[in-house]
Amino acid sequence: MDQSMKRTLQRLIRRIPFQLLKTTLSKWAHILEEDLLLLDFTQPKCLFTENLLSLCEGKGTTVKHITELEMIYIIENPNQVMWRAFQLLDAREDAPSIELTQFKEQFKAHLTELNSHVSIKIKKHTDEAVWIRIAWGDNFTKPNHLKPTYAVHHLQTPYVFVTGLTVKHKPLLNQALVLTTRYGSIKDASLSGRNLVAIRDLLMRQYQQVFPTKHPKPLQEKNHVPTNPNIEKEQIENTENRLQMACEAFGDGTLPQLQKAVYQLETKFRDNSNRTLTGSDEPFRGVVEFTSTNLLESLRHAVSSGIASTPVTPLLSSITQKGRNYFVVTDKGV
Amino acid sequence: MADAMEEPRKDVLVHLNMLEMKANHLAVKQQEVWQVKVGREEQLNATLQALIIKRDQLKAELKANTSLQNLRTLLDKTNAPCERDVEDMENGSENSQTLLLMARHTQLKDLLHAHHLIGGYNVLLTKGKGVCVSIATAYEGLYLETYNLEINLQCKIRISRHNIPPFIPLETMVKQGNMQTDIRAFLDTLSQYLNAYVGRRQQLHLVKEIHNSVQVMESNALCTILVLMFTVPGEKARAALCTLEYNDHTQCLPTRVLIESEDTALASSPQWKKDQALLLETPVHRALVTLKKKGSIA
Repeated sequence: MDQSMKRTLQRLIRRIPFQLLKTTLSKWAHILEEDLLLLDFTQPKCLFTENLLSLCEGKGTTVKHITELEMIYIIENPNQVMWRAFQLLDAREDAPSIELTQFKEQFKAHLTELNSHVSIKIKKHTDEAVWIRIAWGDNFTKPNHLKPTYAVHHLQTPYVFVTGLTVKHKPLLNQALVLTTRYGSIKDASLSGRNLVAIRDLLMRQYQQVFPTKHPKPLQEKNHVPTNPNIEKEQIENTENRLQMACEAFGDGTLPQLQKAVYQLETKFRDNSNRTLTGSDEPFRGVVEFTSTNLLESLRHAVSSGIASTPVTPLLSSITQKGRNYFVVTDKGV
Repeated sequence: MADAMEEPRKDVLVHLNMLEMKANHLAVKQQEVWQVKVGREEQLNATLQALIIKRDQLKAELKANTSLQNLRTLLDKTNAPCERDVEDMENGSENSQTLLLMARHTQLKDLLHAHHLIGGYNVLLTKGKGVCVSIATAYEGLYLETYNLEINLQCKIRISRHNIPPFIPLETMVKQGNMQTDIRAFLDTLSQYLNAYVGRRQQLHLVKEIHNSVQVMESNALCTILVLMFTVPGEKARAALCTLEYNDHTQCLPTRVLIESEDTALASSPQWKKDQALLLETPVHRALVTLKKKGSIA
C-alpha cells in the first residue's frame, strides 16, 4: 500500500460518520467477519483509522478494494452529495434493447477511447440502477481517486444523475454516455438536489399523480381545522376544488422530498413610480428561491389551503410537470 | 400374650394402610381419565361449533350468491329494478340494499370489461384546455395499472402530463405515429405497448411466486430480458441458464430462447428443441409448469 492509497483510505474513513462505520465495513467483502472483531469501534476515529490501515496493509489492500468500499458507502448514503440530473435526447431505434453487460463493456470502451487514464467501476444496485464511478487522470497523472465522479443511470430510461463532475470532464462523460445508451445527445435537465431518490422519483414520475376522472377517489391530504360548520358547508365545494387542483398539480400522498426551487428572473421592470428602472433597456435581474424540507408538499398545502391562488400558476406546476427546479424566467415566458 | 396380640393387629393396620393408598391412587387415576374425556369432548364440541358456523356461512353465501344472480338478471332485463322487486326477493332491507349495490357493481364491471374489449378508452374533458385519456391494462383477465395522459388540444395536440413509466419510449411513439391526424392509432399503439409490458411484468411476478426452484438471475425494467436458472435432472443433475429475449416490445411472448449449461449436448438435444418451442409459444410461468410436469426441469 503506497502513500496515496493510504491517504485515500484515510480520507474515506474520515468521511463516513462514526455510526455508519460498522455497517459499511461489514458490507465490504475485503474484510472478513473475524477481522471486524479485531477492530475496536469504541476507539477515537484517528486511532481506529490507524488500526484499520495496519490491518489493510497486512491484507494487501489495493486501490480496487478501496474504491469498492467507497462505492458501498455512496450507494447506501447518496444524500451526502449534490446530484444533477441529465436527460438523454433523440433515442435511436435500438436504445430500448440495451442490456447490462453490453452497457458495462461499451461504456468502458467508449470512455477509455477518449481518455485512457481513467479508472472505471460499474456496479448494478438492487433497484435496477447502474452506478458508475470514474476516477480521472491524464497523460501526466494517475487517476485521482480522491475526487471521483459518480453517475447513476437506470437502463432503458433517458435519465442520468451525476455528482462530482468537473467542467473539464463533462464532455467526455457525456459523449461516452450518449454513445453507450444509443441516444443522439444529452442535456442538463435543470434539476438538482441532495436527495437522489427525490429527484429520481420526480423526473421518472414515480409518485402518485392525480388525474381528473369521472369517479374521483377521496384525496389524502385533509388536515384542515374544523371551524364553524355553516361556513364549512358553504365552502365545501370550493375547498374540494382547491384540493383537487393542488393534487393535480403536485400529486397525492407522499411527494418527492425536493428541497429547493430557483427562478432566475430576467424580465423588464414594470413600476410606474420608478422611472429609471422601468425605462431601462437592460432586463431586471433577480433570483427567487423557494426552500423547504419538502417543497412540493409545502406548495400543495399552500394551494389547497387557499394561500396560493388557483388555478396553480404554471411557474409552480412546472416543477412537477417538467421535472425541473431551476428556471430562467424571461419576458417571452418560462 | 400382649406381644402375640400386637403382631396380627400391626399386620391389619399395614394392610389397611396399603388398601387406602391403592384406593387413593385409583381415585387419582380415575379423575385423570375423566378429565381427558372431558377435554376431548370439549374439543369435539368446539370443532362441531366451528363446522356449524362454517356451514351457516356457506349457506348464507350460497343464498346471497343466488339472490345476487337473480338480481343481476333482473337488472340486465329492466335496467332499473323497482324497490318492490327487490323487496320480494329479500326481506332484510339493509341486506337487499347491499345486494343491489353488489349486483350493480358486477354489472358495471362487466360493462367496463366489454368497453375495454372493444378498444375503448376513458376520455374526460378537463377544465377547458383538453382531455384526459386513461388506458387500462390487464393480463389474463386481471386488471393491472391504469395509465393516464392529459392531452392539450388547443392548437396542436400535445401531451401535457402523464404517468407512463420512463422506460416506455413515449417520445418516439409521438414522433413516429402521426398523433396530430390519427390520435386513435397512436393510443392503440401505446395501449398495446403498455399491455405487453404489464403482461411481461406480471409473468415475471408469477414466475417468482409459483416457481421456488427456478431462480431469476436477471431482468430489466421493461422486462425484455429474463435470465432464469434451473436444474436439469438426469444422471448428473446440472444447472442451466435459460435466457428469454423479448425483442418485440408489443408482445408478451419471447422472440428468442437460449440455454447455456456445462453439459454442452443439452442445447442441441431434441428434448431441448421441444422445450424451446414450448417456451416460445406459451407464457413463461405456464411453460415452466409444463416443463416441471414433463420432468425437463427439477
